[in-house]
Amino acid sequence: MIYGLCLILFLVGFYGIVVKRNLIKIIMGLIIMEYAVHLFIVLVSYQRGGIVPILQEGQSISEFVQLAVDPLPQVLVLTAIIINFGITALVVAIAIRLYEKYGTFDINEIRRLRG
Amino acid sequence: MKPDQGMSLIVKTVTCWINSFIFLFGIYVMLFGHITPGGGFPGGVIIACSFILITLAAGKEFALKLFSLDDASVVDSFSIFLFLFIGFLGLILGNYFLQNFMAAGEPFRLPSAGTIVLNNVAIGLKVGAAIFAMFMYLSLFRLDEGEETE
Repeated sequence: MIYGLCLILFLVGFYGIVVKRNLIKIIMGLIIMEYAVHLFIVLVSYQRGGIVPILQEGQSISEFVQLAVDPLPQVLVLTAIIINFGITALVVAIAIRLYEKYGTFDINEIRRLRG
Repeated sequence: MKPDQGMSLIVKTVTCWINSFIFLFGIYVMLFGHITPGGGFPGGVIIACSFILITLAAGKEFALKLFSLDDASVVDSFSIFLFLFIGFLGLILGNYFLQNFMAAGEPFRLPSAGTIVLNNVAIGLKVGAAIFAMFMYLSLFRLDEGEETE
């Protein structure tokens, strides 16, 4: 059920990309989509009453395997956040260049491709 | 801080008061990343944010006098070599790359994680310098009459 909220957030970002004409709003939609995916991957690894995935002394292996949180999705999201930061910086740089070349953020007016 | 650059007097005064605390908080997050939530990347982002706050409040000339783009480039390149150096030091003194060669220390104190603190500091310097340089490159350079200025 709570995964559906991630889907709704993803669709909000998708709406921003498909419908909006302003480049800045498209970039914001892209960022919202990225964070919906991050939230989904973190929620996959959530476990009620989970413990830190470090094996303590005097802890049985089977109990540890049952209770410990999977750390792999969290590390994956940590890397994905940094990569998405780089993607966002690149997209913003391209948008700034387009604004300097055409003087507008409206993608309907950025029609002509010139070298 | 010249009076005719940047934003109004209120913004500049509040920036003077707050900015050192933001910088200190970034250093805290960077140094205590192994025992509290945080680490090299968030600490570097907070330090870069303090410099970006200076840029927004006092103008880019003042910020570039404090920390120029050449300095940012030097720190950016130097700190990743610092990380590599710590990693290869583990290879030389120990057995494998990034091995912990320092004493473990007692838990919940600052020297309790060996080389993780040094790696966090290197990553924090790299991220802070890179984000500051990225912000300045995005805000500084313009196309004038079809010729690129970079």
